[in-house]
Amino acid sequence: MGFLIPCPNCGRRDVYEFKFGLEVKQAPGEAAGLREWRHYLYFNQNKSGLQEEWWYHAYGCGAWFKIKRNTTTNEILSNESETNKE
Amino acid sequence: MALPKPLWQFKEPRKTYDALIIGGGLHGLAAAYYLAKDQKITNVAVLERRYFGFGGSGRNTEVIRANQRAPEILPLYVQSNKLWNDLSGELEFNLMIWMKGLVGLAHSDAGLNAMRMRHETQTRMGIENHILTPEELKKLVPALDTSQRAAIPIAGGYFNPPAGQVRHDAAVWGLSKGCYRLGVDLCPGVEVTGIQVKAGKVTGVETNKGSISAPIVHMAPGGYSPEVAQLAGLKLPVVTLPLQAMVSEPLKPFLDQVVVSEGYFCYVQQTLKGDLIMGAHLDPWQSFNLYNTYEFASEQAYFILQLFPDLAHVKLMRSWSGLCDMTVDGCPILGATEIAGLFIDAGWGYFGFKSSPACGKNIAEYMATGQCPEKIKYLGIERFYTGQFIPEVYIARS
Repeated sequence: MGFLIPCPNCGRRDVYEFKFGLEVKQAPGEAAGLREWRHYLYFNQNKSGLQEEWWYHAYGCGAWFKIKRNTTTNEILSNESETNKE
Repeated sequence: MALPKPLWQFKEPRKTYDALIIGGGLHGLAAAYYLAKDQKITNVAVLERRYFGFGGSGRNTEVIRANQRAPEILPLYVQSNKLWNDLSGELEFNLMIWMKGLVGLAHSDAGLNAMRMRHETQTRMGIENHILTPEELKKLVPALDTSQRAAIPIAGGYFNPPAGQVRHDAAVWGLSKGCYRLGVDLCPGVEVTGIQVKAGKVTGVETNKGSISAPIVHMAPGGYSPEVAQLAGLKLPVVTLPLQAMVSEPLKPFLDQVVVSEGYFCYVQQTLKGDLIMGAHLDPWQSFNLYNTYEFASEQAYFILQLFPDLAHVKLMRSWSGLCDMTVDGCPILGATEIAGLFIDAGWGYFGFKSSPACGKNIAEYMATGQCPEKIKYLGIERFYTGQFIPEVYIARS
């Protein structure tokens, strides 16, 4: 089954409207060398389970936002906008 | 009715081995098979968390081919084709190989140019390949709509004879038989929960059936590669995406080639049973969930109908999905790791099935001799740090 992604502007929309922007990673500092930057760019935890990740509402409002999703079940735990509303 | 001699028997793992393979898919089985056959290392166990062939080995669309783009990796696919053709006889098990050839379709000038470039590379490497006009394509594949009616009409194509189909379940069973005959222990239901490393050297694994020691450990976990690599503290340059495929009801034989559209990002082939295997849609987000979507089925059906309008009203029988661990350059990570004695075979995306025998053969040589074989020398993980990517491309819809 497909699933719905909670966009902070548009609410829950079909996942095919979005582009996946990989897991949230810590960028290396300005002093970092090429090796560290490549590690940041290409290597992923690629976690099977709950992870924080970036999504882009490509066929919608164009917002970039973070959500927490379980990559094993595709269940979305929360996103910032919803948490803020509560 | 029991056979007088079983094709294979599963075993509980012993406490110590000369080499361990994590993952009972085609890559793991092939590595164990060639370790035993070529390298005469038979004190080997294949540890599988579920059952043999659970993952990509039984979820692919059975295409074998050597029409990729990059000269760095093409020899590996060529070798794989040859091994697939040898294996039925060698294993005394019919893999139902059918070298039917592959027809590729381009739908634009850019597509034609990319195709010509691959054609040149392949010709230089001795791989037979023919560029075809739409008229020639129509002669070769009469069911194909080469008119201007399609949303994106066919601009040209190629015919690549050294491609075809292998029955994937038979490959799993045949290699299981081969491993068993050579004395390799096949251990299903054994989940590796830890990889033991002492002073930078691998010493064995922890499992749900206790710890097992071995000086050489090979990780061949397919789409689950990040989970397994993490046990050794390794991070991989991959993202795991779900791939969906489907199969139709059986039809009378009408399609004698694998047909791949590089514009519509779909392919179809007819099996010996008569059904059409169609794929493949890669959902472009990370997921370890095996699911199918209506979007996939409707989109693929639309694409296939653009190529073969006569297939309207054919019913779908099944759809399924598998996991593809994708690297950024469309090429795998195959070779040694920074931990001595620990090897990895991952990042195959959706090229894993076709490559499995050659991977097994080369990694077995690497594991036994410590020398990296020529055919896999570009595939090490270090290339992601040095930026020496391999110019391969993925063509599945994503």
